[in-house]
Amino acid sequence: MRIVNNLTAINLSLSIVYILVLSFIFTELPLAFNTLLVGLCIWNLAVTLLKRNKPNALLANTLAGLSLIVLFYDVGFSDTVTLFVAMLILSSLFKLLQATTKKHYQTITLLSFFSLSTVYLFSQSLFATLIISLLYILNFAVLALIESKHNLKIAVKGSLKLLLLALPISIFLLLLLPKVPAFWQLPGPKLAKTGLSESVDPFDIAQLSNSDELVFRAKFDEQRPSPPYYWRAIIHDEFDGKTWLISDILKAKQVIGQNTTKLGAEPLFSYQIFAEPAAKPWLYGLQLSSSTHKDVKTTSDGLLLRKRFLASSISYTTQSYPLESALLSRSVQYQNAQLNLAKETNLQSQTFAKRLYEQQNKDDDAFYSALYEYFANNGFSYTLTPDPITDSNTLDQFLFNNKRGFCGHYASTAAFMFRSVGIPARVVSGYLGGEYNEQNSYLSVYQYDAHAWVEVYIKNKGWQIFDATAVVSPERLNGSLSQHTQLNNEFTSNLSFGLLRLSNIAGFNWLRLKLENLDYQWTSWVLGFNQQKQASLLNKLFGNKQLWQISLIVIATVCMTFICYFVYLSWPKKSSEPKHALTKDYLKLVNWCEKQGIVAKQNQTPLQFLDYAAHKQPEKRIYIEQFAQLYSDVRYRQLVFNSYRKKHSKDLIKSIKTKMKR
Amino acid sequence: MQHTVQAIIDDLSQVIYGKQQQIKLALTCLFSQGHLLIEDLPGMGKTTLSHALAAVLGLSYQRVQFTSDLLPSDILGSSIFNANEHKFTFHKGPVFSQVVLADEINRAGPKTQSALLEAMEEYQVTMDGDKYALPSPFFVIATQNPLYQSGTYPLPESQLDRFFMRISLGFPPKEAERKLILGQNNRDYDHLPVRINAEQLIEIQKQVSTITLSEPVVDYILALVSYTRKNNQFANALSPRASIALGKAAQAWAFIDGRDFVTPDDVQTIFASVTEHRLGLNHDVSAQQLNQLLNDVTVPL
Repeated sequence: MRIVNNLTAINLSLSIVYILVLSFIFTELPLAFNTLLVGLCIWNLAVTLLKRNKPNALLANTLAGLSLIVLFYDVGFSDTVTLFVAMLILSSLFKLLQATTKKHYQTITLLSFFSLSTVYLFSQSLFATLIISLLYILNFAVLALIESKHNLKIAVKGSLKLLLLALPISIFLLLLLPKVPAFWQLPGPKLAKTGLSESVDPFDIAQLSNSDELVFRAKFDEQRPSPPYYWRAIIHDEFDGKTWLISDILKAKQVIGQNTTKLGAEPLFSYQIFAEPAAKPWLYGLQLSSSTHKDVKTTSDGLLLRKRFLASSISYTTQSYPLESALLSRSVQYQNAQLNLAKETNLQSQTFAKRLYEQQNKDDDAFYSALYEYFANNGFSYTLTPDPITDSNTLDQFLFNNKRGFCGHYASTAAFMFRSVGIPARVVSGYLGGEYNEQNSYLSVYQYDAHAWVEVYIKNKGWQIFDATAVVSPERLNGSLSQHTQLNNEFTSNLSFGLLRLSNIAGFNWLRLKLENLDYQWTSWVLGFNQQKQASLLNKLFGNKQLWQISLIVIATVCMTFICYFVYLSWPKKSSEPKHALTKDYLKLVNWCEKQGIVAKQNQTPLQFLDYAAHKQPEKRIYIEQFAQLYSDVRYRQLVFNSYRKKHSKDLIKSIKTKMKR
Repeated sequence: MQHTVQAIIDDLSQVIYGKQQQIKLALTCLFSQGHLLIEDLPGMGKTTLSHALAAVLGLSYQRVQFTSDLLPSDILGSSIFNANEHKFTFHKGPVFSQVVLADEINRAGPKTQSALLEAMEEYQVTMDGDKYALPSPFFVIATQNPLYQSGTYPLPESQLDRFFMRISLGFPPKEAERKLILGQNNRDYDHLPVRINAEQLIEIQKQVSTITLSEPVVDYILALVSYTRKNNQFANALSPRASIALGKAAQAWAFIDGRDFVTPDDVQTIFASVTEHRLGLNHDVSAQQLNQLLNDVTVPL
């Protein structure tokens, strides 16, 4: 058993590494298990700082067994990725708690490289990458510390140097070594816990607005169209009296899907979307969208669906066609479904709608405008914290009593009223608006931008958007929810944490936008650097070469670089011994003394010579003695020749050489 | 600690007049855990110095006067039959004390001389197959007359090498001798104040070994040593043991000087004392040859 140096530093660093790793995957693990892991870290920290003994093997092993039971019970077997990550971290932490020998620590340090990498399973943001990179540096330093007697600072410097040296090669390989399609895929961990749901229950979207997670970014090819942006994601066409659902017919249609929708009109505009990983396959587009991306399916309703790889981000180009050009489905059954409403519920609203329809002489278009007017003039208000609805006829209560609600309330009420007078209507959920980044001209859409609205089919006009929220709270249409001062207070109180909370302070908002921008660059340049992008880059660089040829060239280049470096290293150097910097200064002084006629005897030590010179040059005596002091401090006492001493030495020589003014 | 060291030097100067350099060298030797050989003509104060050293350091000491008929057992001790217990018991000789003053060591025959050998190197005595450890610290302070005097058995090189340093006192300065003539000499070394004890001495020895030996100094020692190996004017080249001794002695000298680092000047100061007896130089030319050596080897910067 060999004794490890720097035990305290090693233990502290490893504990810190694990605490930070845990902080990143905190949301992935159950609370009880998280607490257990953090407890282990703190235990190890305490043992290290208080210089207590490590727990004996029996105790630690028993605890490890118990923790494993907690792990299986708490995390469960359904999500194997999380289970194995949890198991890896648990075992590393117990090993750390028991470690005594060099070999133990080496094993743990190697394991923590894996533990660090598991963070990328859950988060690939720029922030996470930065922190993980720092932890990599620390971990390398620990690995070095186990074998050396240096302190942590020197080890960190060493590992930083090592990683910086490795950086150009890794970037080179990342850019140019052709990527091979993955042979296996992670069983999808539950990535987005928030997101649109298949059913619109007016309470769901308030939940959504709690989250400031990014959903997607959109970049327009040319001029961006004027707002509002209704990013359609899901169409809900079935109402069960309370909730809007996706009907089975629609689901069946989506399963069949159409890869290319033949829409007669010219596309209005095209744009690129970078979508984050999501739990559901819905993608986002304006009006009627269509995409030719091989992993994206276009439905006949102009919606986009993701075919596979939900767990990774996706970037796709889409074209938008005018919504009006969509046909009312030929299928009668489908039409019926859209007109279908729960006949027995919300009778008050039904009656009211019918009366209003009669008043407008059963004109669809007039009814459309009348309904807008009704919502605008009858004391409705927009809020993210609506009063609870107690009645079973939820829409009635909302329409006539509460009159306070958010998009879900307005959308389902409006769609219900359209349907009750026989106008085809459906609830569409998706996102509204987005935050525009001027600098790089892209829109960022967050979970809190989630929105629901109504699409109605007006004869002779086609599908129209009816958004009652727009008349109740018009500013909701332009830009993102966070940009409205009116809603801001309510909104931020709803929002748990983040810079967004501070976005009404100009400085913080500026900072947030800058960080946003960085994150956008990161996503589009690093995370989005996929096989296709690389292929086009390689094509530009190498022309039409085969992939294996390119691989060979890249690998050969790297090998050549290494070989050249090793040849350079082993090249015989000129034998002149490297002189200490202070020795050079001393020799300058000797030179000067010789000019003054003070010649060193052969066996004179530097200190003797300086003493002799000081006697011969009484007016320079102070300086020469100071130089002698400096010389013995640096050369014999082995104090570091730092910048202060370097300057001191230069100054002394200058003072000695300058002639005295008489 | 520095204060104590200065006090010791002052005390010893009260006994040996005008020989501060030699006193400091002797202390250097003891602080580096080395055995000391004092060589000079009779009547120069060798014995006085050795007694005073032992007394002032507060160590137990025994004096052995070496004569041509001295036997090894006179130094080491012998097994004597105990009639009551019907077995031999070992009676420890004078070597079992912290300081052994071997007076006129070259007057005894080689057999007796080498009896000290194991003790000096191994810090133990083997007698009848049993090993007896010597006390710690353990020093041999030996005095000898110059070899050209009659009735001497020269110490072989191997034995000389075991002495860390050899110093000679030389004739006293005139003023000091005047005091001696006037009877002002103070040979009453038994009443010298005891400045330190054995534990403190060991502490000093530990401190000495932590004194910084910087690269230029080590380079200097290496250059000096390799000069004696390349140059054939020396009967015996300096051994690695001598190189180690040079480093240690320089550290101890720096310590006595109140520094925590060694300079090449320290090496020059102790060089002659550490190497002279190891090089096997002819007495008449040794000083000249050593000067030549120091002149030829340039001090690394």
